[in-house]
Amino acid sequence: MSAELLADLSGIGPRRLIATAVRVSPQLRQGLGLTVVLALLAGAGRIIAPLTVQHVIDSGVAPATVGPAVVTGAAAVVLAGVSSVLLNRRLQGRVEAALAGLRRDGLRRVHDMAAPTADRIPSADLVTRLTGDLDQVTTFLQGGGVQFLTNAAQLLVATGILLVYGWQLALPVLLVTAVLVAVMTRTQRVVARRFDTARRDLSALQSVVAESVVGGPVIRSTGTRARTGAKLDAAVDRSRDSLIATQVPLHANASLGEPAISAMTVIVLLGGVWWGQLSSGQVVAAVFLVTFFVRPLQFVVQSLGEAQNALTGWRRALELVTTPGSVDADGRPLPAGPVGVRLDRVSARYADGPRVLHDVSLRIAPGEHVAVVGRTGSGKSTFAKLLTRRLPPAAGTILLSGIALDELGDLGGRVVIVPQDPFLFDGTIAHNIRLGAPGATDADAARILGQLGLHDWQATLPDGLSTPVGVGGERLSIGERQLVALARTALADPDLVIFDEATSGLDPATDAAVQRALTSLTRGRTTISIAHRLSLAEVADRVLVFDEGRLVQSGPHRALVGQPGPYAALAAAWSDSNNLSS
Amino acid sequence: MPPPDLRRKSALAAQFAGARANPGPAAVATVAGLINGSTMVAGASAIAWATDHLVVPALAGAHVPARAWWLSASFILGVSAIRWCTILVRGVSTGTVQYRAQAQTRRAVVRRFLDLHPDWHRERPAGKLLAHAGGDVDALWSPTQFAYFAAGMVFMLVLALTELFARAFALGLTGVALVVLVLGLNVTYQRLLAPRARDAQAARGVVSAVAHESIQGGPVVRGLGLTAVEDERFAPGVERLRAADVRLASVSSVFDPLLELLPTAAVLVVLGLGAPRVQQGSLSVGDLVGVVYLLITIAIPLNVISRFLSMLPMAAAGRERVHGVLGSADVVPDGDLDLGSSGPMRVELRGAGVSRHGRRIVADLDLVLEPGTITVVVGAVGSGKTTLLDLAGGQTHADSGVVLLDGTDVRALRRDAVPARVATVSQSPFLFAESIRDNLALGGSFSDEQLWRALRLAAADEIVRGLPDGLGTVVGERGATLSGGQRQRVCLARALLREPRLLVLDDVTSALDARVEQQVLAAIRDLGPERPTILISTGRPAALSIADHVVVLRGGRIVPAESAEEPRAAAGIEESSGVR
Repeated sequence: MSAELLADLSGIGPRRLIATAVRVSPQLRQGLGLTVVLALLAGAGRIIAPLTVQHVIDSGVAPATVGPAVVTGAAAVVLAGVSSVLLNRRLQGRVEAALAGLRRDGLRRVHDMAAPTADRIPSADLVTRLTGDLDQVTTFLQGGGVQFLTNAAQLLVATGILLVYGWQLALPVLLVTAVLVAVMTRTQRVVARRFDTARRDLSALQSVVAESVVGGPVIRSTGTRARTGAKLDAAVDRSRDSLIATQVPLHANASLGEPAISAMTVIVLLGGVWWGQLSSGQVVAAVFLVTFFVRPLQFVVQSLGEAQNALTGWRRALELVTTPGSVDADGRPLPAGPVGVRLDRVSARYADGPRVLHDVSLRIAPGEHVAVVGRTGSGKSTFAKLLTRRLPPAAGTILLSGIALDELGDLGGRVVIVPQDPFLFDGTIAHNIRLGAPGATDADAARILGQLGLHDWQATLPDGLSTPVGVGGERLSIGERQLVALARTALADPDLVIFDEATSGLDPATDAAVQRALTSLTRGRTTISIAHRLSLAEVADRVLVFDEGRLVQSGPHRALVGQPGPYAALAAAWSDSNNLSS
Repeated sequence: MPPPDLRRKSALAAQFAGARANPGPAAVATVAGLINGSTMVAGASAIAWATDHLVVPALAGAHVPARAWWLSASFILGVSAIRWCTILVRGVSTGTVQYRAQAQTRRAVVRRFLDLHPDWHRERPAGKLLAHAGGDVDALWSPTQFAYFAAGMVFMLVLALTELFARAFALGLTGVALVVLVLGLNVTYQRLLAPRARDAQAARGVVSAVAHESIQGGPVVRGLGLTAVEDERFAPGVERLRAADVRLASVSSVFDPLLELLPTAAVLVVLGLGAPRVQQGSLSVGDLVGVVYLLITIAIPLNVISRFLSMLPMAAAGRERVHGVLGSADVVPDGDLDLGSSGPMRVELRGAGVSRHGRRIVADLDLVLEPGTITVVVGAVGSGKTTLLDLAGGQTHADSGVVLLDGTDVRALRRDAVPARVATVSQSPFLFAESIRDNLALGGSFSDEQLWRALRLAAADEIVRGLPDGLGTVVGERGATLSGGQRQRVCLARALLREPRLLVLDDVTSALDARVEQQVLAAIRDLGPERPTILISTGRPAALSIADHVVVLRGGRIVPAESAEEPRAAAGIEESSGVR
């Protein structure tokens, strides 16, 4: 399911994939000419051995010719060595720079992409695309990827020399090569398919492992280690089996070089003697050349599996990077100042599920403070998701300050939602609050907490604002996390703020104090509070009542509470729950 | 199958452990590797024989019998056929060893995660644990792919050197010099690589952790427009990884060509040394050709051995991390006492306290939950409610004082005793990416009737009925397709389904609207004569209505309720009532 959400590059051939890679990382193209020359020099230098042997044998192994031949050979070896070193450095440096660029572009794209897409792809899958998948490329490069190139060059040079000896020898050799390559490319397709399956299974495994790590507390408290263990085992075994399934075609393919090399050796040896036009030195050199021809071919084939792995890894990262961002760079900016909201006959549904919001039309004036109430499942949170583009409407239009939502550009920092379970980054409390505004200082963070009336809470923290929050805010309670998120949002100073039961984890006293402070802080901007307490609805300019996905009432608290209807019923229930214990 | 034993501190020892854990395929791979090694020496002999008996005489104009033609061809082709088979068999059985050992280790690592203490987990980001189970295990077993090839090649080297000495002492010495030089270079190479490989692996961990956190916090990043900030935060790790990989490459870019070209250099030396001997007649042209062929072929074994060795440092780094997980002693304590199976539980906290990172979370908690009572804990944000609940529910252990369940110290209980009798629902409801049915039953056998009853009690039956496939509906990753309140109720149903003897609810009704909250609380109150002992924390006053006892927490300590109004005041009821 995840692959369909991102750009799908699995169908395109390696050539177009490489073209895409070069387009995304232009540094790969720089100085390509010199790289090719270096590769040829590095490859040619290795072939000097058979040529020296030929020369020595044909001279009747006379010491006078052996000396200079060996010296010439030695010079060629040195040249090949130096070229190899330079080639290695260039290539690895370029590719690593490209990979680093891909990682950063990839993360940026994760944050730019349409929120519904990001929500639906398992986060472990996205992480893998930025880490493990790209590491495959490094693994390939360090495990002989550059040799791959020099071997290809060696292949070319060896072919050239064979042709010089005579087409009568070169032709059968090339024919065998053609058969070999034809069979290999066929098997290679099987190899690629199986590696793709393996990669998918590995990604699924990552998701299962992530779930077992994140869900650890639940697994422990319900004593279901065995069950999760079985699930993990199944995923581990599945990826093991699909990896092992790659092995037969992979090695069948790799071993094909062997019959090819012996067939060619016999052809060159017997054919060369039968033909009678070559010297014995040339026949022996041709036999060596076959080795120098097929060995690199074998190496190239053998590395194809790893190259395939690397290419698949690269492709998965490219799929992420080339997924179109949802934030339209040419999108219109949101006009400055408080935001007006308008919904015209908007309906919504999750994926293919039933409609959860029906035909909602409403207007919220700039600067208005609106409370949204309704029973659990009445569509309140869906409403919030629509406004923050986490869910596209199934029908109808949504306008912010008169501009259709899908025509707007980046809303970051201008339209902010504070959820019930806010995410905190591993760092200090001050660090998390400062994220609200670029360039904010610890003093700003302290000031905002003061304005929210949270000095008392701050005093209970062991290190004050420098208290670390732990991974994902682990070390704080939900209520404390909500306080940090509120402070962070207050600092961000958005023009439309949506509180989605953002203070539900607070005790009523703190909640009331924070609400009072927020009212003064939110003055002058549009505020939508999805309320879990009546007190929040009371202080709003207007209350919107949702019931079963429809907007059923709208008006100020005082007006609605007197009318018989859903709001009066909700208000009664709220009041009851407060007075039950008396 | 038991996982390979990784206690010995060497990547090479780990390879042997992997073979011992998978003896069948390892034996096949070894034998195939050895046969393969010997065919390489035999191949050189075949070429030498053909040169002396066919090429040189025929091209010198001498008559060559038909037998020499046939023998040359079948000698070369026969050796090659054997080698062809061994390449295939060795490859497949090597892959089997590698991926089996990998799977065995991975299983052990992920299962260990489940056994390790929550405190251990709290210190480690999920991304890092994912890297241990993924990349680190992969790195540990990556040398295996060359291990059996390399073993066969070592055998080949021994045969080849013997052969060289048989031809001429000087040629043997050249061979030995070549091998010693190459292996010496390799040792230096490894020494230089090892620290760089560790750096790269560490940088990989950093990149993975930041990426994971950033992607998890995606909604915040998007909402506050922090894409650039996150990029800036990600950049140093990415740059560190790039630099580490390039540093690794700068070493290999010198050593790899050096190692590759040494055999060619040796061929030149052999030509220089061999030519006078051919002149004297102590060596035939075929012998010289055979030796050159052998030296050229030596490039392969030396290359394979080098690649095997070059993977060892990364494998050693991987082993260290993997062993760090497997060898960690910080497991959830496991005693040998059990809890009774029926009736509500008695819970007693005696002077219990917990500190974390020097922060005193709760201290001197003295509290008794009599069987069948409902106790409600109130207190401001940060007053330690969750920790008190974790202590009483046996989820966390006290640093000071004790927690007794039915009079037994929690730490003396079997690990499965608490989960079997205590059900907890936390503030952040977690669901698996499975069907509602599986999320409720968690592998236990419950009838649909039981499931629906639990859902009804948790006021979650309507939610499930409204889902496309009812109980069979698969919720997204971490239950993402349900709202927070819906998840909370499904989690509550999961707890009620287990008919626990102690039920611990950590502010579970926070995301519910008042009417549903009332419904849920009434259902809990009316659980019947077998009602468990119940402990609830809440930030909202509604739960006080069903409480037998109310506990007020302030700054991690229980404060005495001085008047009947005290709990209500602590819960802030005055602040939020007066609505009507």
